[in-house]
Order: sequence, then C-alpha cells, then structure tokens
Amino acid sequence: MGPAKTPMNGLFFRSRRLTLIVLTYTVVLASPLSAVADEASVSYREDILPILSDRCFRCHGPDAETREAGLRLDHYESSVAVLDSGAVAIVPGDLNGSEVWQRIGATDPDLRMPPDGALSDQEVDVLRKWIEAGALYEKHWSFTLPQPHGLPTSTLNDMSTVDRSLIDVWVHQRLQQQNLRRQPEADRYTLIRRLTLDLVGLPPTLTEVDDFLNDRRPDAYERVVDRLLASPAFGERWARRWLDLARYADSAGYASDPPRIIWRYRDWVIDALNRGLAFDQFTIEQLAGDLLPNPTLQQLIATAFHRNTMTNSEGGTDDEEFRSAAIVDRVNTTMQVWMGLTMGCAQCHSHKYDPITQAEYFQFYAIFNNTEDADQRDEAPFLSEYTEEEENEIQQLDARIRQLETQVNQEQTESAPNTDDKDTDSPETTQAKKDLQAAREQRKKVVGVTTPVLRELPIEQRRTTNVHIRGNFRVLGEGVDPGVPQEFFQPHGLAPTNRLEVAQWLVNGKNPLVARVVVNRIWETLFGSGIVETSEDFGTQGEPPTHPELLDYLANELVRTGWNTKRLIRTIVTSATYRQSSAVTPERGQADPRNRWLSHSPSFRLSAEMLRDQALAISGLLSRKMKGPSVRPPRPALGLRAAFGASTDWEASEGEDRYRRGLYTRWRRTTPYPSMATFDAPSREVCTIRRIRTNTPLQAFVTLNDPVFVEAAKALADRMNDPTLPLEERLSRGFRFCLARPPGDAELDRLKTLYERTQQAYTEDKQAARELLDDDRPAPAERAAMAVVANVLLNLDEVLSKK
Amino acid sequence: MDAATRIVNETRRHFLKQSPLGLAGLALSTMLGDESSADATRPLAERPAHATARAKNVIFLHMAGSPPHLDLFDYKPELVKRTGELCPDEYYEGKRFAFTSSRPTLLGTPRTFRQHGSSGMWLSDAIPELSELADELCVIRSMYTEQFNHAPAQLMLYTGSPRVGRPSLGSWVTYGLGTENQDLPGFVVLISGGTSPSAGKTAWGSGFLPSVFQGVQCRSQGDPVLFVSDPPGVSRSIRRESLDALNELNQQQFERLRHDETLTRMAQYELAYRMQISVPEVMDISRENQSMLDAYGAEPGQASFANNCLLARRLVEQGVRFVQLFDWGWDFHGTRPQEDIRGGLTEKCRPTDRAVAALIRDLRQRGLLDETLVVFSGEFGRTPFREGRTAKKDTLGRDHFPDCYSMMLCGGGVRPGTVYGSSDDLGFRPAQDKVHVHDLQATLLHLMGMNHERLTYRYQGRDFRLTDVHGEVIRGILA
Repeated sequence: MGPAKTPMNGLFFRSRRLTLIVLTYTVVLASPLSAVADEASVSYREDILPILSDRCFRCHGPDAETREAGLRLDHYESSVAVLDSGAVAIVPGDLNGSEVWQRIGATDPDLRMPPDGALSDQEVDVLRKWIEAGALYEKHWSFTLPQPHGLPTSTLNDMSTVDRSLIDVWVHQRLQQQNLRRQPEADRYTLIRRLTLDLVGLPPTLTEVDDFLNDRRPDAYERVVDRLLASPAFGERWARRWLDLARYADSAGYASDPPRIIWRYRDWVIDALNRGLAFDQFTIEQLAGDLLPNPTLQQLIATAFHRNTMTNSEGGTDDEEFRSAAIVDRVNTTMQVWMGLTMGCAQCHSHKYDPITQAEYFQFYAIFNNTEDADQRDEAPFLSEYTEEEENEIQQLDARIRQLETQVNQEQTESAPNTDDKDTDSPETTQAKKDLQAAREQRKKVVGVTTPVLRELPIEQRRTTNVHIRGNFRVLGEGVDPGVPQEFFQPHGLAPTNRLEVAQWLVNGKNPLVARVVVNRIWETLFGSGIVETSEDFGTQGEPPTHPELLDYLANELVRTGWNTKRLIRTIVTSATYRQSSAVTPERGQADPRNRWLSHSPSFRLSAEMLRDQALAISGLLSRKMKGPSVRPPRPALGLRAAFGASTDWEASEGEDRYRRGLYTRWRRTTPYPSMATFDAPSREVCTIRRIRTNTPLQAFVTLNDPVFVEAAKALADRMNDPTLPLEERLSRGFRFCLARPPGDAELDRLKTLYERTQQAYTEDKQAARELLDDDRPAPAERAAMAVVANVLLNLDEVLSKK
Repeated sequence: MDAATRIVNETRRHFLKQSPLGLAGLALSTMLGDESSADATRPLAERPAHATARAKNVIFLHMAGSPPHLDLFDYKPELVKRTGELCPDEYYEGKRFAFTSSRPTLLGTPRTFRQHGSSGMWLSDAIPELSELADELCVIRSMYTEQFNHAPAQLMLYTGSPRVGRPSLGSWVTYGLGTENQDLPGFVVLISGGTSPSAGKTAWGSGFLPSVFQGVQCRSQGDPVLFVSDPPGVSRSIRRESLDALNELNQQQFERLRHDETLTRMAQYELAYRMQISVPEVMDISRENQSMLDAYGAEPGQASFANNCLLARRLVEQGVRFVQLFDWGWDFHGTRPQEDIRGGLTEKCRPTDRAVAALIRDLRQRGLLDETLVVFSGEFGRTPFREGRTAKKDTLGRDHFPDCYSMMLCGGGVRPGTVYGSSDDLGFRPAQDKVHVHDLQATLLHLMGMNHERLTYRYQGRDFRLTDVHGEVIRGILA
C-alpha cells in the first residue's frame, strides 16, 4: 500500500466543496446526537465524574476490597440501591433523601464526606444540580464508541480561509470559543523543514528545498507530503516511536543485562510501516502472528513484540518469578499501547478508578500466560533465519548426518547378535560415529540470525491461571478463565480467549478506545501533545480531550479507511492547522499559554534520535544504510562493568556504521547511549508511551562537546568551506544546510563577526586550530574558525527544535 | 512554554485539582511560579520543605552486594555458640535462598566484637575507625526487605518497588526540594570498584519524573561529567565568543517567533558554561591538602571509594543535595578468598572504614554533620548460616538474607550513639522494632523535612510516592 495520492474521501481541502461537506452532514446535524447541550445544565462526564473519581471512588469505586460501607458510586444501579445501613446514597430528584447530600453537608467531622477535606462550594453546587435533575449517569467518554458529530454551522460560517479540512473546522470551533484565530500558513522554508523532520525524521536537502520553492503547482505541498510518505526513511522515523512502546532493546535487562539479538523485529517494524501495513493487521501479527493459519516468517518475527520483555539471568533467581513478571509486562503493555489504559493497578487490587477488577486482570493475564518462553538465558523459543549460503550448508550437513546415521544403524544392526558394547564396533563404525558427532556439532554452529518469538504451549502443557493475591505470583487466589474486561467487551460474537482473538477484538472497530488511542498518538507525534494530553491514560483519571469531536472524527476515519495510518498522517499534515506558522503573539501567549487550542503551530525540541540524525545529515556524514544488526557509534569509555556482566564500554563500529541513524544504535538497557539518554531517550526496560521532554544544561554539553557532534561540526565546516565562494555565501550556505531558510542580514552579520574573531584567534594560535581539526590540511585557522561557526549553527535553538 | 515546564505545570495542576492541601503541590507551585511565567530555567531551584528539615543533604554510601552485617554490626553470641549446628527447621523450611538449596549449618561470627563509646555499642574488629566514632553512630539492627536478589532489592531500597520504572530516592528528594547550588547537579552518583550496581542506572533513574531529576554520574577520572570539557583546541575565550554569538542569534529568533522555550534554552547554555568551571573545580580533589587526602586514604586520579567519600564531602559543602556512592565487592558468599568474612572482609573494610570515618570526622569538623545525613547500607543482609555452595570449602561466606539485617546512619538529625531495634538470638528475625525499607525511606524524607505521604507525583492516573502505600517514620532514631 503506497501513500494516498488523491484526497481520500469526501472530506475536502478546498472551499468550493464546502457546500458538499455541509450536505454530507445534514443528516447528522438533524439527529439527536448533535443536539446542543443546555449550557447551564450539569454534565455527568464533565462536571460530576471528575468529582466522584477524585474524591469518592477511592473508597466507593470499582475496587470491592477497599470499598467502604458497601457503597459504590460509579454505577447508577449501585448508587440508588438501599445500603446495609438502610440509607440510600442517591435518590434521584430528592436532595434531602440522598445520604450523599446529607454527608457532604454534615458538620460532624466523623460523618462528613469526603473525610479528607470538604468539597468546594462549587463542587457542592454541581452535585446538587445533578441530583435534583435526576442523577443521570453516563459512561466515561472514552468507553463509548466514537460518534459522528454534526458540523458546527456557526463555525463553518466564520471560516474564510481557502484551505480547510474537517480538522480545521473542529480546531476553528475551539479557537472561536477562545476568541482566537489560527496563524496564517508558515513560509515554505519552514513548511518543508517541519514536514521533512516530521515524516522522515531528517532535515530536507537543499535540492529538496529549492524544488519545493520553485514548484508553483497548486499541489506542490501535497507532492512533498507524498514523496516523503513514500520514502524508506519514513519507516525509520516512525518505527522509533513504536519501538519505545514495544520496549525494544538489544539487551535482556536486569543486572547483567546481556546482549539480545532481536533486531529483525526492529526491521520488521520499519518494513511494516513503509509498506503501509494496515494497523489492524500490524496489531494482529505482533500480538498473535504465530496463531495465524500458516504464518509467514515475517508474521512470526512480528511476535517478537512481546519478547522484548526482560529476562533475568542473574544467578539464584527464580525463573517463574521473572516469567510471571514478563507476562505482567505483556498484559500492561498491551492495555497501554492499544487501549491507553493503565491496567497495572489491577494486578494487586481491583482498579480504583476504571472498571477493571483484579479477576479481570488475571483473565487477561491468562490469555498471555500460555507461551513457551520461561525466562531462560538462551531466550528460547526463537526463530532461526539463514542466508542462502547457510541454507546450502545446512542442506549438505543434514544430508550427511542422515547418511551417517543410516550407516551407523546398519552396522550396529549387523553386529547386533554379538553385543552392543561399543568397544566392539568395527573401525568403520567408530569412524562413522566420530564423523556423525562432528557433523552434528558443525550443524549446531550454523545458527543464522535468531529472533526470540512467541510460541503457544501445546494443549496438554497449558498453564492454569489464578489470581495473584496482592500481585504476588506465589500467593494464589481463585482460578480464572481467559477473558477480557467486561466493560469493553461488546456482546457480539464470542468473547476472546486467546491472543489471536484478543488482537481481533482490539481492531474489529467495536473497541471504543483503540482507534482513538492510535489517532491521538499520531497527533501527539506531530503536534508534541495529544488531543488527549495524557496519552498514557484514557481512563477516568486522564485528561479529557481538548477536541473530542475531532478525535472521534479521525478515529472513525481511521477505521473507515481500513486502519490506514499513512493516510491519517497525510490528512493531518495537509490541514491548515498543521501548516500554520508557529509564531506566538502576545494575545495568543496570554489566551492559550500551553497552545492547547492550537492558535499557532507548536514548536518543540527534536527527539534524541532526530538530533543525532539531523547533525549527521547536515554535515553530510549520515549513512543511509538501512536495517541489520545494531551498531556502536563512538561513545566515551566509562571503565565500568555491568553487575556480574561484561564491560559497559564498547569498541566503536568501523566505517559507515559509525554514522548510522540513531535508531540503529545498540540499545543496552542498563547503559543507554549517553547522548541520547541526556535527551530523554528511555531505558526501554518497560513500555514508554510518551517521552517527557526536558531542557537541561547537560544537553548543551552534548551538542557542544560530544565528539560525535564536534565531528559533525567539522564536517559541516568542510561542506561550507568552498573556496570559490565569498565568505558570506559560505556562511549562508551552512545556515541553509541547517535550517533550509537563508539567514537574515543581522544573522549573517553575527556569523561573520564570529568567524572573523575566531579566525583571528586561531591565526594567533595555529596549534589550537590543529588540535581542534586534528589534521594537517592547509588553512587551519580558517577551517577551525568555520568549525566553531558550524558548532554554533548546530546549537541554534531553531536547529534543535521544530518550528 | 517548554515541555519540562509544561509537564511540571501539568503536575501542579493535578496537585491543585487533586489535593489542594498537599504540600508537595505547594512546593511545586513555588518551584514554578506562575504558569505563564514559569521559572523553567531553574527546575532545580530550592523549594521549601513541608516542615522543618533536620538534614539538608544526604550522602548515601551503598556497599553493593551487601556486607555481612553479622560480622560488622550485630553481635550474636548464641549464634557463635551454635556454629556448625544444622539450621533449625523453622528458619529453613519453606524459605527460599539464592544459593542455598540444602539445609545449611549455622555460622557465628569468627570476628571479635567489643563494646564501644558511652553507649557500649557492640561493633566488630573489621571497622576499628568507625568503632571509635560509636557515639556518633546510629545502628538499626532490625531492618528487613522482601527481595533476596541484588537488583530487585536495590530497586526496592531506592525506588520503593522491586520492579523498574519508578523514581529513585535522590530523584524524589531533588524533585521535592530542588538544590542549593544551581551551578552543580542536585543529585550526584559516584561509583567505585569498577562495576555498576546490579540495578544499573535505574538505581538513580528518575522513573516517570522529568529526567532533570535523575542522578548525574560523575567520575574522578576523565571528564567528571560527560562532555563537560570543551573540545580540544577550543579555549574558554573561543567558547565564550561562540556562546555570545549563539545567544544573540537565539535572541533574534526569539523576537521573531517568541517561543518561551528559546529563552529557557539560552539560560541552560549559560548554566552549562558556568558548570564547566564549577564541576571540574569541585571534582578536583588535588585541591585538598595532603593530610586531608591521607585521612581519607584518597589519591587524586584514582576511581576509589576513598576518593568518592572525599568528593561527597566537597559536593555537599558546595550545596549538592544528594550524593549517592556505590562501591562494588560486598557480596560475601565466600566463593573466593576476597569474599571470606575473615581475611577478605578485613581487607575490604580497611580502606572503607578509614574513608567513612574520615568523612564523618571531616563533616563534623566543618560543622556539616548536623545538616548532612550519612547512610551506610547494603541492599539486604547476609544469612546467619553458611552459604550452601561453599559449605565444604575453606572459605566462610553467607548467602543473601532479606529477613533481618543492620545498617548504619549518622548525622542529619539522627540520634547519635544509638542502637535501634534488635534481631532474635540467632539473627534470623527482627525481635524488636522491626524496620522495613519503606520505613527507612519515610524517615529519610522526614529528616529532610518532607512528608512521605505528601511527596507525590501524578502518573498514569495515580499519585505515586516513594513509599508506595506503606512507610512509617522511625521515631526512635530521631535526635
């Protein structure tokens, strides 16, 4: 599947089609779904649930174990039931008959609820209105299926720009409510840099920039989008994101953290993204590729997703303990990655806020509890893949082994009447046995590339699953059958009982969360923050979406278009919302300090890998070699060993492997690549849903002083130092390598001053210039000065950030 | 607004929403000022504690592998008497040990214990220097944890959970209190013995807290902090020249786009420039006089525990909030002569005892001991019986033991000359005043002026804390 080359559906980017948009949605507009809510009325979801969830559910929520007084306030049925005490917590419409109301207002501190501090007047007021109005319960927003929403006519009327998609309509609606406007479209330099960084994780080349600038066709922008979506670098950039979720690493974790060979999985992800494997299939193959009928090699490798859990090979550890820890990780990761729910709490007790009981947790656990892997040092079971040469060698060896086996058997059978004491073997038999032994040894050595994979236990060896009391794998409670949490199970078809059915249940379009979670994650990647800011928590304790209608629209589109994520990305990046300028004006800064309403394009620092890739690309050092075993770019030796393990230092790779994209850097969990860790790359010991971006002085040390970045600065200086060009043009050229745009006059002046002063200093101290350059080529002062300029360029805030 | 600020603001918002009375919320709002003009350039700025702090700084000395407490801090004459007897059923049946799978024999200490100081504290001959300081020390003899493997036990001690993913003690402390000196990291980690602790970087990781709170590993060889040195051939004046240009270019860009994060970044580069001076300075122990070096047993240029102890003092003196030392080589199984609790322990303790004693004296002499809490501990204890694998060998060693062990504290608001809690006659179980690692964590935070139940961080829909849902302050050790 390639990228979509045409507008994908009836949702258009041109105003002349606006009428059509409105027509398409007329039916919806007339439906009760779009009825405008009474502004004054109380909304359960927006007003009541946050109070109940924050102040009441801890003791009166889904967790039966900590429930007080038998009262459960998260369901209508239980809230209105008669309690043991004879009281009724909530009597719809009858304030004074409601025990809840009595308790909230109680003056006796022993009676007053909540016990840890009275509700605010405003909270009391909304609760009053809600009970008086009948105490209507609604499901948490993310637990109901995404709905089509009628388009807001007043917003459509208010919009006047030429380009708009449905994304822009929903964004405009929120801006309208805040008395804000979108920024105009960014200039083409900014656009192509932003787009190229976002889609392929690299800066645009000067040729690419110039081609775009000179392309006067109306769809010049869309052409860039399509070119980038079709680039193999697309898969590399977006794989990085997925690998954080998959907790992909090249080591097994825990104390000794030994190397693990699992890079074929990383390559599978890159390929899958590049060929546009639909997200439903992407899901099924990773969670249950081995359970598909006649799975392909690739589908088996995909299952390594859940073999990225850690393995503990420290002496004296209990394998069952760490096998169980791995299953817990698979359960939590599956829920986090696909449903945005934090199921982890339910390992020890029923969830206090979301409807997942501890028994349900272990029902889900049971589904993952029947694979062969068992915290073994050799990572069994694994899949071996061979090169053609190895295949041939195997064939020959296998043939030879068979032949020798036959020979030995025959000879032994013939001599059987005498004895089977091997001392009496004929010299031929002895030799044949030796040869057989040797051939078998040799066969064992042909291992090819091994990848740990999931393999289901044969039926007779299946494990039974019990609840682990307080999460302790040794203290077992009631037995449970495989299953999924009731709340999310749609009563159509059969309840999932194995991994394949779970995968299908996640992506059958009836799961309220999955499409929203996927859309939100892509949005977050592009905008720096999701429509639901807490992308790791779509439950009742998470943040509500800033643009719920937009989220639903995109989620529905994703499912409707067959889970085509490339298409979704295309839809987003072609919106006017995405294409606007990132400039902040005082009024925008005031009214929307965190840019939640998208009154300008967000600007944020590039990820650890992108910073590396960008510096190497700008300086011309970057190797574009794709895939294969992970590599070891230079890093400082620390002279330390891992506990009970090998040195944590490494010998740097040779040749172009020093300059590969960050994605291919060997990821050792206990000693992450230092410069990337400084820029918030996680250890990948567990699933990371979103990296928290920080801004620290240690980061300045990396981009200023790390030998990798210093080498990039020197290489960039070489690219700039074209002796046929005047100084200004050389500087300007370097600036454009970094930022696509030419420098302004003041910027150029400042660079020139820096160059001249530094050149002066290095002319006076040629030895220093030589030290920096580490070579004997001519014009050291000029080249060293240019390296200092290049080092500054690579550290510009505008270079380190997406603008 | 930059992301770090945003995250913390978000946290703050959660605090305000979730627990308006939470003091941590207060600390954070102070830390970040107003949402729109957040002091994001100083995420480690000092913040007020919940209550009066007894300790300003912590020096945590971790003997990675876990020292044999029964040969150092907890004298068990009854166990000595019964050395060689089979381990009683009640202590062995149904229990799991790392390297002991058949019934072991009891092992009393082969070392000599004597009473020291006015409190008459029993200490072994392996730590003569510390014994002289008995009246300064507080020994807890009733510690316990649930984890009997190194990595999970270290995680339990530092993050409150045996599994990876949570912030470490030093991260919680700097998150809660910030740090005094903005030109140095607030949480520094120093490693000796050539090997990282079993829990790896997670032992000083920031977990789900912003990474600005993670421990910064400093070294006494090479660059003290990774990449702190300018590249070869780049002088301070050229660095200044280039930073000036960078600042002006960033300023020009800021005026065009007005992204607050640009200003934050400019401030971080200036801070980095200052750290390039302050970090190598504080890390350079050759600035100490020879008698001071001798007292610790420190030698400039080495990566030794003694050097790290001296560095720890220099760091807290300069206002670093939390200094964490890991020393490798304390896993006294007895599988090698170096792990024998007789000669091996004597050798291992000699430099350690000297350096720790020197550190305590040095802090006391500088008037820093009152405000600096020194902790000396392993991740668990060691068995009162001989390790299974080495039962037939000449060496004497002990297996991992989480059920009951000892640790030592000093200074920082801890009652001096105190023994708290006790183990039973054979040292298998706490007999009195048992102390879980969560209690220890609650106490450390308490000494620093923080309430462990209020120092929380909202993550994945839940308020997390270091002590999970446990922990009681050990009142009996407070001065």
